[in-house]
Amino acid sequence: MAEITAVSALRSALAAEDAAIYGYGVAGAHLTGSRQVAAQQDWERHNKARDTLTAMIYALSAQPVSAQAFYSLPFPVHDGTSAMALAAYLEEGVTRAYLAIVAVSNQRLRDFGAVAMQGSAEAAAYWRGSTQAFPGLDP
Amino acid sequence: MPDILPRRRTLLASAATLPLLLATAGCRSSDVFTGPDPLAGRPRLAPDVVTLVAVIAAEENLIGLYRTALASDSAATARARDLPALLAQHEQHLTRLRAQLIQPPGTATATASPRPSATASTAAPGRVTIAGLRAAERTSAAGLVRRLATVEPALAQLFASIAASDATHVAVLGG
Repeated sequence: MAEITAVSALRSALAAEDAAIYGYGVAGAHLTGSRQVAAQQDWERHNKARDTLTAMIYALSAQPVSAQAFYSLPFPVHDGTSAMALAAYLEEGVTRAYLAIVAVSNQRLRDFGAVAMQGSAEAAAYWRGSTQAFPGLDP
Repeated sequence: MPDILPRRRTLLASAATLPLLLATAGCRSSDVFTGPDPLAGRPRLAPDVVTLVAVIAAEENLIGLYRTALASDSAATARARDLPALLAQHEQHLTRLRAQLIQPPGTATATASPRPSATASTAAPGRVTIAGLRAAERTSAAGLVRRLATVEPALAQLFASIAASDATHVAVLGG
C-alpha cells in the first residue's frame, strides 16, 4: 500500500516535470539575455529531474507516465513578462508535486521530496521576484 | 428489621474486599475510573509534540537573529531592504507552527527546549551579519528536513514547506 502511494506521488511529480519542460520551451522563446540563460538552466534541471523520477518509478516496479505532446498554458504567453509569470507558475506546480512526496511514509522519499522542492521554490522565487512563506502549501 | 444487619455486613464486606480484588487484578484504585491517574504526574509529551516544540524554539531563535540584524549597523547593507520581508515570513512560520501545538495551560513553550542556535558562534552577541543570517537559514532548512522522519505527514509537509522558504531566503541573502 505504501508503495502505491509512493508511485502515485512520484508519477505526479514526473507529470509536473514534463509540464515544466514543455512550458520552459515556450517561455524561453520570449526571454533574452540572462533570463534566457536562466530559463535554459531551469529547463536542463527539469530534464535531469524527469530522468531521476523515471528511474525511481522503474525501481519501484512501476511504469512512469508518458509526457503529453501538448500542454495547454494557464494564460497567453506573448512577451518577457508573461514568460516569467509562466516560469513561476510551472515551478510552483513542481513544488506542490514534490511536497506531496513528503507525505509518503518512506523516509528516503520524504527527504528526496523536501530537498527537490527547495530547488523549484528557489526558481519560482527568482521568476516571481519574491519569496513565499509557505511554498507548495495553500496560503 | 432483622434483615437489616445481614445487609450491612454484606456491604461492609464488599467495601473491604474491593481493594484486595483490584490488587489481585493488577489495578490501582484510580483505574476503576476513566481518565488519567491523578497521582501519575504530567503525561509524557508525544514525539510529534517534542519535535514541534524544538522547531518552534529554533524559529524563535531565527526571528531573534533577524531582529538583531535589523537593529544593528549591519542592517545598512545593500540587502537590508529585504530583511523586513524575510522577517515577516519567519513570523508567519512561527504563527503556523504554534497553531499546530495545543499544550496544557502553564506549559511554557519558549522554555521547553531552548536550543542554542548553530549560528550563534558565527555572530557576536548584538551583531548579526548578512552572512550569519544566510548560515542560519541554511541550518534551519537542513534541520527541518532532518526532522521529517519523526512526524506525521501533515506536519512533515509543513516542515518541508518552511525549509523551502528558508532555502529561498538563502538566495535572497546572496547565497
